[in-house]
Amino acid sequence: MSELERIMHIEDDPSIQEVARVALEIVGGFTVMSCASGTEGLENLEAFAPQLILLDVMMPGMDGPETLARLRRTAFAASLPVVFMTAKVQSQEIAEYHQLSAAGVIVKPFDPMTLADQIRGIWSQSHG
Amino acid sequence: MASADLQAQLAELNRSFKARLQVELQSLRVRSEELLVQPAANAVSLAPLRAELHKLAGSAGTFGFAELGAQARALELIATRCMDNNVLSSTDRQELLTGIQVLPSQLNQLAMPPTASQRAFDNDDNEARCIAIVEPDGQLLQGISETLESFGYHTIICGDADTMLSIVAEQTPDALVVDMSLPQWDAQWGAALEQVQSQLPAPLPLIALSDQDGFAAQLHAVRAGAQGFFTHPVDLPGLENRLEGCFSLQQSEPFRVLVIDDDAELARRFTAVLAGFGMLAETLEAPEQILEQMRRFQPDVVMMDVNMPDYSGPELAQIIRLNDEWLRVPIIYLSAETDVQQQMAALIKAGDDFITKPISDSALLTAVYSRAQRARRVSQALARDSLTGLLKHADIKDQLDLEADRAIRNKQPLSVAMIDIDHFKNVNDSHGHAVGDNVIRGLANLLRQRLRKVDRLGRYGGEEFVAVLPNCFPADAWRILDSIRSDFQALPFSSDAGLFHSSFSAGISFSQAPDWQADGLLESADKMLYKAKQQGRNQIIAMPGSDEPGN
Repeated sequence: MSELERIMHIEDDPSIQEVARVALEIVGGFTVMSCASGTEGLENLEAFAPQLILLDVMMPGMDGPETLARLRRTAFAASLPVVFMTAKVQSQEIAEYHQLSAAGVIVKPFDPMTLADQIRGIWSQSHG
Repeated sequence: MASADLQAQLAELNRSFKARLQVELQSLRVRSEELLVQPAANAVSLAPLRAELHKLAGSAGTFGFAELGAQARALELIATRCMDNNVLSSTDRQELLTGIQVLPSQLNQLAMPPTASQRAFDNDDNEARCIAIVEPDGQLLQGISETLESFGYHTIICGDADTMLSIVAEQTPDALVVDMSLPQWDAQWGAALEQVQSQLPAPLPLIALSDQDGFAAQLHAVRAGAQGFFTHPVDLPGLENRLEGCFSLQQSEPFRVLVIDDDAELARRFTAVLAGFGMLAETLEAPEQILEQMRRFQPDVVMMDVNMPDYSGPELAQIIRLNDEWLRVPIIYLSAETDVQQQMAALIKAGDDFITKPISDSALLTAVYSRAQRARRVSQALARDSLTGLLKHADIKDQLDLEADRAIRNKQPLSVAMIDIDHFKNVNDSHGHAVGDNVIRGLANLLRQRLRKVDRLGRYGGEEFVAVLPNCFPADAWRILDSIRSDFQALPFSSDAGLFHSSFSAGISFSQAPDWQADGLLESADKMLYKAKQQGRNQIIAMPGSDEPGN
């Protein structure tokens, strides 16, 4: 199984963008590209070539599930692990995201100290 | 990675998040007033507010403002319920307005809980819980309604099953009591109730009554989603007790899970997944310290690996089972072991259940949640006094020991009150034991309503109670108890001879800087209680050194 290095984070809230970058780059040692919208993520997809995409569910304009659907239509991200981030807590919704072919779901608020571990866990599962 | 550098960066992010929120919360407040104060406000107007609250609920915790996030979540749920039902009641509107108004104050209260007395008195404003009842038998209806009212609940009486359906949809009572002997009660109505319940954020507790006993009637109740079942003649205190049980499960503390796995990364991951769903999870640091850690952490569930290098899971499970105090705690093995023989061998030694890894997050959560919930219920049933629903003698003593240790560890004051009903023997002698029981329950209920959720309350003896008040200075304890004393004195009780009043006395002891006490708190409180009795009863006396009246 290859090592996870490059993560694309699509999230409209700049504060969350920053704290996730610190959590993933400094705590986790990953390389992160932050995108403020699904459109921006799609535009940078091939240039950045992420191994995993972390995707906020509720965004203005194109939301998480719609972004995921568009990603799946690209050659590059057709089977890339995509992890949803959501403030919803009902397990039924979490199950729905899994059905949308998400590799995992991270529940907000997340703990910056353990976010990288959570992502690693999902990464090893999706390659297990 | 320089960890000091990381902490500095995170702290800086928290600071800028706070600065940003100071502006955003103000504008949210202004917008909420614009949207909600105008007469044309309706559920649809809530959409932008809900979106903001949702965002806050998801982000604030990451930046260290967990309480702010929790409050935003509570408000988001209110808004969601209003939007789903397409009704904006004046109560909900007020709650949203007030809730949004006070959000900014949370920004300055990072890890600073309000003082004990402030919160204890805030409880006065708690709205009473509202119970909707359908019961065709007029006399029984009156009995249920009076009993529940005397315990501080509001009751709504519904003429028939359909009325209840519309009330559930509109007013949202907090629980339902339904007599299934009703002629209208049939499968269709049960389905209609389930449909209405499914629209709510969480289904309301439902207690079923019936003139039939036995399997068929109970199955009927379970299919309608009942959490309690009583046959005629209905045991009224039992009914109240069941309701209280439903509510205390709803608002109880987060479940605590101890995770034992030699794969530190996996253990951390499980902990994070459980924490993401509001449970408190800890990993076992050193197997040799397992009992100490359990005593400190008080888990509801233990989850452990089977094959670990130094000690096996079954060995650790057997050590736990050598101690009676942990009999209530389920032990779940979580292991890659798929050999059924091996699984059974582990279970025969100790442990209650076997789950195989790898496991999805949602399966893990369901497995832990359902066992924790069951363990809580069992603990509650075992630890509660059947007359008052308060902790029993031995359990309140345990709680006191725990809180006394915690107070010393956290350097927070702790107050303990010993409470005794005055001239209780006279009440029993002149009005009979049934009336005496009502007085005991009346005081238990008043204490439960007026003290905080974090406070521990027990029935210590016949008419004697113990209250343990963490993070509470004796001065605050004295004030809240004295206000309960004056309310209790005014509470009328009825007997065959008409109405009468009762009263209580209390003694308060405490542990605070610089004289931290772990032992002797009950004895000291008892001495002060004795003094209060000697000085004429119906009064509260605190231990010397607390600068309070009554010394």
